[in-house]
Amino acid sequence: MSENIIETNGLTRNYGDICALKPLDLQVPEGEWLSVMGHSGSGKSTLMNLVGGLDRPSAGSLRVGGKDLLALTEDGLARFRRESVGIIFQQHHMVPYLTAVENVMMAQYFHSVPDEAEARSALERVGLGHRLKNRPGELSGGEQQRVCIARAIINSPKLLLGDEPTGNLDHKSTIMVMELLKELRAEERFTVIMVTHNQEVAAWGDRTIYLDDGVLVREERTAG
Amino acid sequence: MILIFLQSSVFSLNTLVTLKVLESNERDTMAISLKLIPHLLAWFGIVLILLRGFAGRRSVVTVASIAGFVIGVTGTCILFRSFPVAIPFVVVKSALGVSFLFLWGASIAAIYRSTGRGITIFQGERRGNFPLGAGIAACMASIVAGAICTCGLPAAGSTLLTLLLLAVAAGALAYALAYSAQALDKLLPNSYTVSLSGMLVAVVALLLCSSSSLLRLDLFSPLSMKVMKGVHDFVHQFMESILIPDHLFIRSYIWKFIGLLFGKEVGFWGGLVIWFIPALLIAMAIGFERLPSVAHLRQGAKRRTVMAAAIRERRCRLVIPLLSVVVFATAAYQSSFPSVEYWDPKPLPITADQSGEITIPKKGEIDLEDGKLHKYLFKQGGREVRFFVLMTPAGQLTVDLDACAICKPDGYGQAEGSVICYYCKTLIPLDTVGKPGGCNPVPVAFSVKGENVVIDGITLVNSWSTTVQATARVKEGGK
Amino acid sequence: MLFRILKNSFLKRPKAIFLIFLSIAMGSAVATAFLGIAGEISHKMALELRSYGANILIEPSAAEGGGFLREEDLPKIKTVFWKYNITGFTPYLFGIAEFSAGGRKERGVVSGTWFTKQLEVPGEEFSIQGIKGIAPWWEVQGRWPEDADEAIIGASLAKRLNISSGSDVTTIVRGGNQKFRIVGVVTTGGYEEEQLFAPLVTVQSLLQQQGKVSRVQVSALTVPMDDFGKKDPTTMTKDEYEKWYCTAYVTSVAKNVEEVMAGSRAKPIWQIASAEGALLKKLNSVMLLLTVLALGASATAVSTSLMASMAERSPEIALMKAIGADRFQISSIFIGETLIISLAGGVSGYLLGGQLAELISRTVFNSTIASPLWLFPTAIISAFVVAIAGSIVPLRRALLIEPVTVLKG
Repeated sequence: MSENIIETNGLTRNYGDICALKPLDLQVPEGEWLSVMGHSGSGKSTLMNLVGGLDRPSAGSLRVGGKDLLALTEDGLARFRRESVGIIFQQHHMVPYLTAVENVMMAQYFHSVPDEAEARSALERVGLGHRLKNRPGELSGGEQQRVCIARAIINSPKLLLGDEPTGNLDHKSTIMVMELLKELRAEERFTVIMVTHNQEVAAWGDRTIYLDDGVLVREERTAG
Repeated sequence: MILIFLQSSVFSLNTLVTLKVLESNERDTMAISLKLIPHLLAWFGIVLILLRGFAGRRSVVTVASIAGFVIGVTGTCILFRSFPVAIPFVVVKSALGVSFLFLWGASIAAIYRSTGRGITIFQGERRGNFPLGAGIAACMASIVAGAICTCGLPAAGSTLLTLLLLAVAAGALAYALAYSAQALDKLLPNSYTVSLSGMLVAVVALLLCSSSSLLRLDLFSPLSMKVMKGVHDFVHQFMESILIPDHLFIRSYIWKFIGLLFGKEVGFWGGLVIWFIPALLIAMAIGFERLPSVAHLRQGAKRRTVMAAAIRERRCRLVIPLLSVVVFATAAYQSSFPSVEYWDPKPLPITADQSGEITIPKKGEIDLEDGKLHKYLFKQGGREVRFFVLMTPAGQLTVDLDACAICKPDGYGQAEGSVICYYCKTLIPLDTVGKPGGCNPVPVAFSVKGENVVIDGITLVNSWSTTVQATARVKEGGK
Repeated sequence: MLFRILKNSFLKRPKAIFLIFLSIAMGSAVATAFLGIAGEISHKMALELRSYGANILIEPSAAEGGGFLREEDLPKIKTVFWKYNITGFTPYLFGIAEFSAGGRKERGVVSGTWFTKQLEVPGEEFSIQGIKGIAPWWEVQGRWPEDADEAIIGASLAKRLNISSGSDVTTIVRGGNQKFRIVGVVTTGGYEEEQLFAPLVTVQSLLQQQGKVSRVQVSALTVPMDDFGKKDPTTMTKDEYEKWYCTAYVTSVAKNVEEVMAGSRAKPIWQIASAEGALLKKLNSVMLLLTVLALGASATAVSTSLMASMAERSPEIALMKAIGADRFQISSIFIGETLIISLAGGVSGYLLGGQLAELISRTVFNSTIASPLWLFPTAIISAFVVAIAGSIVPLRRALLIEPVTVLKG
């Protein structure tokens, strides 16, 4: 864990007069699992969007994986998203009219070329080998979230972002999803940043930071 | 920078044309320059393609192209000077034909190789990217392009000095164009590469497109004629030697299909097939090209990135052959629908001998019996008479004034099946040329002595004066 | 993959797709129908104004009684100033007659004419004159008459009499009668289909009008009319008149011919149609305007329905963007979708428009039209134009979607 995959310096994001993120200096070493905690409106999702290239900061510098995100054009940011980042949302967003395997293949298509065999094996890896041809409406919440995980890691990103991925899941599914993420991380060695307000979920990480009103108030390492 | 090049090229283009057409006015110069532009653009395209294809040999390609163009222009001029008009055309046309055949061979080789069998057609192939190969290819293509340009210029007598000046002007033009091509080439992104076969097909396509606008260099029409004749002959022979017309298996509906083979369309469609196949074969060969093996890459994303790059690169290489198909289509179109132009040669000055007779050999420098209008200018005692000699479709030679009995003597031009009076724009059927009346050209008495057409100079002048004076008087009287 | 996305999107959202398809098909159908009719009108006008075929009609001038021209004047047509521009001419002698064949009796017009008459004029080259040369578009099933008692019959008269080539027809005019052997049935697309054409000599003796003809059609190579040609020759200066006379305008050729035919009046045929032509031209521009309006309306409809479906699909677009689709990839999905719909819409618009054109032309113009080939690309292209024009605004809206705001929900 020598190099930092994320380096921010005075990172700020204002929405009009509201300051969602006060100047923030944050370093995340490569391979780390970082949990971000805070109550609603604390700026944790804003941080997430900035790091994932979905939003642009108002001030400060932001380098992810050696790239200066402020210098990228809109299409450049899209390229950064498909090549370097995998994102999992709270509301397991899938394209409603595509099957599970097609949803995964869509990510491949945007990245380079689709490869159905690879998409199938990715779904098998998350334990959905039997639900390849089902559309989102026919999948449970946990299953949908697992499709999203398969889709997020299909392009071997360096960084996996989770925006309360377990927010809508029951306890059993949450454990299942977290176990899966841990397993995959062990194999693929990507960096994880996970936003949550669940202390238990946060405990899966190596380090937890606490945000309040856009300010980093506390930081603690998980023992063991 | 390109602008400067273009400016200088326009200047040298005008010089080139002016030199070639010695006694012409400003408007003619402009008109001919405009006509030359497509040919020059084609050559520009060829140079650009070659620069792309032989990346890394840019200077060699540029120099060889310029040299080739100058050689082509001056060489063809010399040919025109020292041989009858038909010979240079035949030479250039054969060169075009050979290049098309070569393209056919290359396309078949390309498709054969795309099936996975590696063959080497000729030794130098692998060394195509060496300076010598690049230079020779650029030089040859440019010689033909220069020759086509020269064929597009109207013929005129030239002395050694004008020839020299012509070479210099052509060189300046070529220099300007080649360097602007080089500048453009630098602007293009590196990812647009051209394969060897793609380069060949594009160069041949541009040459054929450039030549197809010149009636005497056009390849497509003769090709479709040949195809039609071939099919007809084959069907004839086949029917006569093998099958008896009322054979048991030949029912009337089969005859309908056989009838199709005798239609005029057979030549056109057959010609089209032969015309387009090489470019399509090369495009197919590129389409069939194997993608690189990616089995050694463990990570899916990396594997797919390599694949996507290979597919993108293949698509880029497909652009040129597909564009060439469009260029081939343009050539076929130009050949099928030639722009209507009146055949109107410049009157050749001619003199009478001591006895006052004008003698024009039937098969001299100009073939009087080719069915075309041949204009002459006869000067005597400060008077000028324009007249023309024409062979009517009925096979009769006729000599007429380049004026009619009623209109202002603006002269005639020849269109398909008729001549047109420039003054009143009336079309006169070719069969009636040589008969007096209406707006027909005024016929002049002449005699055929041996292989010569003989006209009495005095009669000619008198006939012209009475005709022109009459029409001129009417004109003045009206004012 | 693009096609898989498109296919599934089509299958799962049939209603929205159908709406867009409908607006495009409607627009292209209307465009096809109107343009088809406009084209047909222009085509008919062009036939009217053709420079080949008969373009001068010589009739007896009203001033002189009799109402006939003299056959003996006909060869003079080949001696006029513009003789080389006159490519052919045909005399006609008309009479109302009763035709009977196979028990049926019908009234019709018997027309005496030249088919392929060998004309010898002193001092001029021998030439062949007659219908065959002057009306090359006549389609004769069978052959042209050769003997004095052979005739060809117009298709609709033949239908009424229920006869075909090879039959015999008896023609009765005021007591006199003549039997003709029908050797061909002719289709012309005009009033000629109601007539029976027989050699001039035979009809002259049948009608007892020896040496007379009712009218002459002349076909001349002419120069297109321009402003100068339209000027009244009587107001011209001598110089202008000279130029007018020596230019092969159809009017000057007509005047030339009129001079040699005693008691005749020659008029260019296009003049008959010119009033009609002006009306048709106006009609044509109205059609074009309507077409443009219809296309505009259907583009607006496409735009509206696409807007609605974009709003519905914004989460999906936001998701694609979040996963890393750039603007090109997003556009290709949506443009591909509209293009496929518009292709289908164009084809069905073409089929629909053909029917519509036929309906309109049957009820309004009382004529049938043959749907020309160029209408197909026109239909497809107008569908594309409608689709592209209609999708510009929705696509811009789609590209402006911010994943952050949409996915937050």
